[in-house]
Amino acid sequence: MQNPYIPYPVVVDKIITEVDTKDIKTFRFKFVNPEDEQKYAYIPGQFGELSIFGKGESPIGIASSPTQKGYVEFTVQKAGVVTTALHEMEEGTLMGIRGPLGNSWPLDFLAGKNIVIVGGGFAFTTLRSLINYMLFEDNRKRFGNITVIYGARNPGLLLYKDELVEWGKRTDINLNVTVDKGDATWKGREGFVPTVCKEVAPSKENAVAVICGPPIMIRFTLPVFFDLGFSKENIITSLEMRMKCGIGKCGRCNVGSKYVCKDGPVFSLAELDKLTPEY
Amino acid sequence: MEKRLIKKDALAGIAKKMADKFLVWAPVKKEDNVLFEPLQKNAEPNFAYLNSKNAPKNVFFPHTETMMKYTRTPKGMVFSTEENKAAESVLFGVRPCDAHSFVLLDKLFDQEKYKDGYYITKRQNTTVISLACVKPPYASCFCTSVDGEPVSSDGADILITDIGSDCLVEFITTKGEKLASYFGDAKADAAADAKKNEIAAKAKEAIKSKIPAHEIKPILDKNFDNPFWNTIYGKCLACGTCTYMCPTCHCFDISDEVKGSDGVRLRSWDSCMFPMFTKETSGHNPRTSQKERWRQRAMHKFKYYVDMFNCIACVGCGRCVMSCPVNLDIRKVVEDISKL
Ligand SMILES: Cc1cc2nc3c(=O)[nH]c(=O)nc-3n(C[C@H](O)[C@H](O)[C@H](O)COP(=O)(O)OP(=O)(O)OC[C@H]3O[C@@H](n4cnc5c(N)ncnc54)[C@H](O)[C@@H]3O)c2cc1C
Ligand code: SF4
Ligand code: SF4
Ligand code: FES
Repeated sequence: MQNPYIPYPVVVDKIITEVDTKDIKTFRFKFVNPEDEQKYAYIPGQFGELSIFGKGESPIGIASSPTQKGYVEFTVQKAGVVTTALHEMEEGTLMGIRGPLGNSWPLDFLAGKNIVIVGGGFAFTTLRSLINYMLFEDNRKRFGNITVIYGARNPGLLLYKDELVEWGKRTDINLNVTVDKGDATWKGREGFVPTVCKEVAPSKENAVAVICGPPIMIRFTLPVFFDLGFSKENIITSLEMRMKCGIGKCGRCNVGSKYVCKDGPVFSLAELDKLTPEY
Repeated sequence: MEKRLIKKDALAGIAKKMADKFLVWAPVKKEDNVLFEPLQKNAEPNFAYLNSKNAPKNVFFPHTETMMKYTRTPKGMVFSTEENKAAESVLFGVRPCDAHSFVLLDKLFDQEKYKDGYYITKRQNTTVISLACVKPPYASCFCTSVDGEPVSSDGADILITDIGSDCLVEFITTKGEKLASYFGDAKADAAADAKKNEIAAKAKEAIKSKIPAHEIKPILDKNFDNPFWNTIYGKCLACGTCTYMCPTCHCFDISDEVKGSDGVRLRSWDSCMFPMFTKETSGHNPRTSQKERWRQRAMHKFKYYVDMFNCIACVGCGRCVMSCPVNLDIRKVVEDISKL
């Protein structure tokens, strides 16, 4: 019996500073025991507990896609004890990761549909996993049109800048990157995510919207999608709650009759309607 | 299964004899309280007790428990898994309500997908011997309202009932039967059985505190936003005593402790009654006041657990009622909800 509380040992293989403010970094981990990579088989939308001995653990969404072999990536904002310790780490350091935890983006439900992805700020991480998964050549034909609307406050705060450029060159994805306010070198779109959603106006036909971002963005984006005719079953998001165990035991992330760690973090709006609004 | 008779004063001797071979948890007097503790050589168990001050859940789910150990190396911390080993144990003389709580905790810790090895190994390696309440110990006992009975074998491997002249020993499970040799060889007759049934019926009668625990589920389904929740929490100190004492409360925290180059990862009891329990790093707290926390405690016991596992997460032991420093009474809360 694999003890779900014990992390897999990993080594920090690569650290990428994502933003100008330097407080968001992507950490690429390699498993110390190669066979653990198999055991860590994950689906986009799942998360892991990053485990730093002496400091504790933090639940973080998996930012890489399972189609990327040999490593697993997480994009982390420096916030409190664990995430600060992580930000101070150097490549080559040993630490642990637990998981994969939680449900995932509902890939079977998304298959055959047109997918609209809306992300704001650094909540873009598991959406990036989903996009890379769908764009992978063996998977691409399983999904219809892919529309992405991704916004940050300013150009320096956009994550995965190289990938955005690559995706922009492709014809099988409609990429719309926006910033609240541009700078001297910014040639792209300006405007808030909800406004851009209104302009892009994705069709509701056979479509599912996957939306992740700060609460304020979500609040103003949802009405746009309701106006476009999206049903609550076809709008999907991911919740955050304080967590510890990640496996539905410690009680911390209990919302109504669900544990966000185990039964979530991914829910449709229709499912959220049935949950007590305590998140 | 088998039934035997033993002399009433034989219990302590049996427990002590078992302690030669097993780790025996028994009720022991500590200052003014009775607590379940590992029975030490020369210590006297106290089987004439009412109920233990603390719930015996600590036998399977200790207040603080090591999950793993680690050591600092130049490259970072290298860890070693704490082996999930538990000594062969006997939990001797728990009250039926507390034995019932183990059945409820099993549902959470021993699920299909995620198994909690720390709890499960201790549970599997422990034989539970229940001591029936022939006279309900407290006026605040309400086990009969929450699927329990004062003379019940629920959650027990062996049930011992004082039937006046002797004690009737019933072996409920094969695990319990393995300890049969400790209980002499006097087979119980039909008369002993009849006497026990009579005593059980009387004990059940004697539970006077009754609450509409089952009736409130459909009401809770619809009343998350009822202004009623504003009326119950005012006095609450957020001390967490109710959840600490409760045999079914299972929330825990995970923390790290380092000394020199060695460290441990621990888990320890936590409480939904504490403001920090759900507070996120950003400062956002989904449960902003004690109102939401009291609602969580009531909802979790009488609605969420029922939704998830089809059973109420309260065994009616009355500990929270007796221990709350400001006399908040979950029975009154349930009563009031039933009238919403
Ligand atoms: C499913 C999920 C996915 C997440 N994905 C990401 C991500 O991709 N990138 C990212 O930067 N952040 C993510 N977060 C938020 C991240 O978990 C918190 O910022 C982080 O736990 C803060 O930990 P800390 O030790 O630095 O802060 P401290 O304030 O020191 O936190 C102490 C402990 O509290 C808990 N905690 C505090 N805040 C949160 C919170 N918001 N969510 C969950 N647990 C919390 C953790 O157990 C943490 O170890 C995610 C949270 C969840 C629940
Ligand atoms: S014991 Fe009483 S005062 Fe303390 S947290 Fe529980 S209800 Fe509140
Ligand atoms: S809620 Fe109170 S009465 Fe019910 S099991 Fe817990 S401590 Fe006992
Ligand atoms: S994090 Fe422990 S129950 Fe969800």
